Amino acid sequence: MILLDIFITGLISGSTYALLAIGFSIIFGAARIVNLAHTAFYMVASYCIYLVSTKMGIHPGWGMIMAVILVTLLGTIAYQIVINPIREHHGAVLIATIALAMAFQEIMTLIFKSSYLSVPALIKGFVPILGVKVFYQQILTFGAAFVVMGGLWILLMETRAGLAIRATAQDREVANLMGINESRIAMLATAISVGLAGFAGAIVVPLTVINPRMWEHPLIMMMAVVVLGGLGSLKGSFVGAYILGFAESLVVFLIPAGAFLKGSVALSIMILVLLIRPDGLFGVSFEEER
Amino acid sequence: MLLDVTNLTVSYDKAVLLNNISMHVDEGELVSMVGPNGAGKSTLLRTISGLVAWEKEITRRSTQGDIIIKGSVIFNGERMDQIPANEIVKKGLIHCPERRRPFREMTVLDNLMAGAYLMKDKIQTQENLDQVYQLFPVLHGRSKQISGTLSGGEQQMLAVGRALMSTPKLLCIDEPSTGLAPMMRDEVFKKIMEIKKLGITILLVEQEVKMVFTMTTRNYVLSSGKIIAEGTGDQLLQDEIIRKTYLGL
Repeated sequence: MILLDIFITGLISGSTYALLAIGFSIIFGAARIVNLAHTAFYMVASYCIYLVSTKMGIHPGWGMIMAVILVTLLGTIAYQIVINPIREHHGAVLIATIALAMAFQEIMTLIFKSSYLSVPALIKGFVPILGVKVFYQQILTFGAAFVVMGGLWILLMETRAGLAIRATAQDREVANLMGINESRIAMLATAISVGLAGFAGAIVVPLTVINPRMWEHPLIMMMAVVVLGGLGSLKGSFVGAYILGFAESLVVFLIPAGAFLKGSVALSIMILVLLIRPDGLFGVSFEEER
Repeated sequence: MLLDVTNLTVSYDKAVLLNNISMHVDEGELVSMVGPNGAGKSTLLRTISGLVAWEKEITRRSTQGDIIIKGSVIFNGERMDQIPANEIVKKGLIHCPERRRPFREMTVLDNLMAGAYLMKDKIQTQENLDQVYQLFPVLHGRSKQISGTLSGGEQQMLAVGRALMSTPKLLCIDEPSTGLAPMMRDEVFKKIMEIKKLGITILLVEQEVKMVFTMTTRNYVLSSGKIIAEGTGDQLLQDEIIRKTYLGL
């Protein structure tokens, strides 16, 4: 049943990309930051779990909680030191965040060397569905991703802070006139965004291999998702992530030596979208600033 | 005096947008600021509400020229020119911006709740919401609608309603009639009179001089960043030079 294999792989990678792209969109929306270091935080989270579970022998569940907290803190500090002083210069932010990502990569290489590492599954074992082994870890990863996205939805739509984030994302200037402290909201959005990246790393780490360059592929995928879904649209990020997740898994499973073509899927879709519909599926119009 | 602006000068790089402006608004008044395009009317409101200072802050390290703000803005006995825009709102000075600027992707109700962002008191918030719905019944019927799909007039009502949600003492409205059909325009002006009757002081920036002069207690004429005349509608209309040169009537 290769179809089921394709479906499960697509679902898992789609969920990861969705978590990453939604976080990326939140920080872009509320703070106008294009954070190219986004997936580097995902990598740091993975190493954090490796360190806790494999080196220190603590249950990986604790490692995941610690990873999310640590990465959120790290992201907030990085925001204050690196991004905030240059926040209004979009070009400088691009350079600074890619530098930040490379710095994280080099630090991880120094500490852990560039070898491939792995973390054991939280729950071992599998259940056979239609003759395909579905690992409990896969179900857990998918479920956790959905629960977190649901929680985020409630946070954004039902709470006062969520209202402020949405308002700031739409019109930063007018948000001031509502009494919203726009720079504090930008920081909150950064914390949530980086927290999501950390969480994505945490739930996916048992299914993947850890190495210092593991941030590169998701970064490209995430950018493609955001282009496909429409920059700044959370709904677009969600839908785009699953489209790309399934597209990628179709190519990997159906085309001979497809794994080598994995990287080109995202880029091809990105080029197509930019040619045909540059706004993406759910392009959001931003109030232009004076 | 509820609002007292003294010797206010604002320049962007080398362009002087406001030149030594002094004006005031007393409690219970409806004061208009009229004048040709580019006179600095919107800049004046943006300075009073702290948006120019915010812009100065965010462009602080950029290569664009510096924004310079001199003079003082005193509201209710407190200096407003030294606190950030989002804290000015707390004092009860609300700016309803030019081009309405609703949060377009959000529902009407969410827009209104964003207006009540600083309101701690839930009962008061509900009362304000009822008041806004009473004033603008059309918003009540459309509370779940995405605000970007409202008509221009409805968006203006929404923008004013959103400003009213924070229980303002002084409401500054920037060109509410722009781009509206004549009937809608009259409707908007009627609502502004109703808001005044609720006891809210209003500073109105407008182009529709004829209509506005029948509503206001006092008016200022602004041109090239300077206040060149002040008075009641009748007084200003009697002055032929002002009428012809600055008001185009």
